Amino acid sequence: MRQLLDIWIGAQTWIFETLVSPVLFRFGLMEWFEPAFNAVEIVMLGIVQILVIALGMRFLERRWPLEKWPNDDLVGVDRVYTVLNKLGIVPLAVFMVTYPISNEIEHLVRSWGYAPPRLERIVPWIHDSALASFLVYFILYDFAAYWLHRAQHRFGWWWALHSLHHSQRQVTVWSDDRNHVVDDLLMTLALVVFAQFVGVQPDDYILILMIGRLVESWSHANVDMSFGRVGQRLLVGPRFHRLHHAMAGPDERHIHDHNFAPVFPIWDILFGTANYDGKHRPTGVDDPEVEADNGRGWITQQVTVLGRLVRALLPRRFRRATAL
Amino acid sequence: MKKMVFLAILLALSIVGPVQADAVLVLNSEEASYSILSRSGRVELARLPVGREPHHLLVTPDGKEVIVGSTATNELLVLDVKTGERRRVVRDIIDPYHLGFSPDGKWFVTAAYRLDHVDIYRADDFKLAGRIFIDGLPSHMAFDADSKTVFVTLQQTGRLVAFDLQTQAIKWNVKVGEAPAGVVMLPDNKRLLVALTGADGLVVVDPKDGSTTGSLQTGKGAHNFFPKGDGRHYFLSNRVEGTVSLIDTQDMKVVGSVRVPGGPDCMDITPDGKELWVTQRFLRRIAVVDIEQMKVVASIPVGKSPHGVLMLKSGAAGTKLAPVRAASTAADQK
Repeated sequence: MRQLLDIWIGAQTWIFETLVSPVLFRFGLMEWFEPAFNAVEIVMLGIVQILVIALGMRFLERRWPLEKWPNDDLVGVDRVYTVLNKLGIVPLAVFMVTYPISNEIEHLVRSWGYAPPRLERIVPWIHDSALASFLVYFILYDFAAYWLHRAQHRFGWWWALHSLHHSQRQVTVWSDDRNHVVDDLLMTLALVVFAQFVGVQPDDYILILMIGRLVESWSHANVDMSFGRVGQRLLVGPRFHRLHHAMAGPDERHIHDHNFAPVFPIWDILFGTANYDGKHRPTGVDDPEVEADNGRGWITQQVTVLGRLVRALLPRRFRRATAL
Repeated sequence: MKKMVFLAILLALSIVGPVQADAVLVLNSEEASYSILSRSGRVELARLPVGREPHHLLVTPDGKEVIVGSTATNELLVLDVKTGERRRVVRDIIDPYHLGFSPDGKWFVTAAYRLDHVDIYRADDFKLAGRIFIDGLPSHMAFDADSKTVFVTLQQTGRLVAFDLQTQAIKWNVKVGEAPAGVVMLPDNKRLLVALTGADGLVVVDPKDGSTTGSLQTGKGAHNFFPKGDGRHYFLSNRVEGTVSLIDTQDMKVVGSVRVPGGPDCMDITPDGKELWVTQRFLRRIAVVDIEQMKVVASIPVGKSPHGVLMLKSGAAGTKLAPVRAASTAADQK
């Protein structure tokens, strides 16, 4: 195990010292020395995730597809989203915007003389077990993500952004990263503020991202699978999450207002939003403007959905006049 | 639950008890833990929890305790210097990144690297005397011999600032170079050495007014100092270059260098003065350098991003424990 870890760390160190560190040194960015080293690991893990999706999850999708399409033309753009996210390009852009904001928030709070209590004060024993600490933070982050996800559906302006994620009619293992960059930015900012109050070890955070995002990629798979009668209540799987992507019909206007949990279904069970009926429904959004996202490329989607956000933020009487 | 945790820690400490006299403490800054290593066995014996993001540690002026600063949990963990056993936790010390006691033992100073302030506490009760907000990532510190001034580097703005300890007023604030980090006052009390992490060496600064009086090239990413113990020679880690330089501060020249890969950072010397232990932040190891040969002779696996390192210098030795992780030999080094 240590040998495997040494190979991984050795590769990370080599990439950093050969490609990244000289650039930071050359351009006077040495205060980013440590974060940049961790960023290299995130990109390496992103490559691993892409391989797991492309080789492992895709194999299962091809072998046992739930929906069969004449072609998968709509899926191509989701691959672009996945690569841009997993290789750290979108996260880096999001970080560059959110870092100064979150830094200002923290400085402001501290200038008032207030230090948010850390979780360890309330639950001291999580200090003493790496596994317990990891699980507690994972569960808390998932809890925050659950409520943020509900907010994405609750507020019209946020839905204008998040509907891009739901507009896909061919939901596959590539669909998880299909999000508008402003949506990514808002989610990151919200989780950073949450982290101010809860906190998480950098090492745990990377692992949470890695495991969490893999579970989420799998939950979008075009397969009719779950983790079994008990397992599907412990971990989100494709059958559970596909219902959340279901297109609303005349009899089920709010079918997608179920199964919000990213990783642990317990939140849906606790807060009354779980649905385990197991029926197969087509995916997508029953709204021509949102449906029009399909067939567009990454840049066009980003631009048109930004327009959708702006219109959603305008007072109601101006919306018709500005509609595309 | 508290009692159970306390008992568990006591048990862990009792297990490693026989080796405490021979122990080395290493802070795993991205793992919320500290490692206890056997100096003679060159192995990690135990890994114990500490508040999140611990970076630096130091011995109290009375020599009885070790203080570990946990920056993300805003606290100091106080350990017994002989046994490594937990004594207490001091709360509400905000972002204690770098730590220092004035030579007279009256003042305790912390540099809040992430939150841009320098805090001056009364050392006897950790009561805050003054908090000075200052932009630019306050990084490392040094004191003058008469305990009137603390000098703090600002890594982002490239400046060195002198604070009056009694009044907490700024005496001077000058630009010294790119990304200054480690700073040390030489025994003559007339020269400060400042390591420039954004450059390839150090500058010599006059503590009276902050004027730069000299410079020396050592290696890219010059970062932190440690005295050899003879009052004349200092080690300096060069993080980008991956080396440690030995500097003669009398002739102001580099008299030795050793390759230490993986972003070498903090250092300490064995009580016999024969070995320099250097944290390798990226490789999750601590390198053992034979000072006479200026050669890495071992590299011991520890936790993630090991930063501060401290020898518990009580002199005894020996271990009855099987190692948690065995050290690699020099042959394993790149």
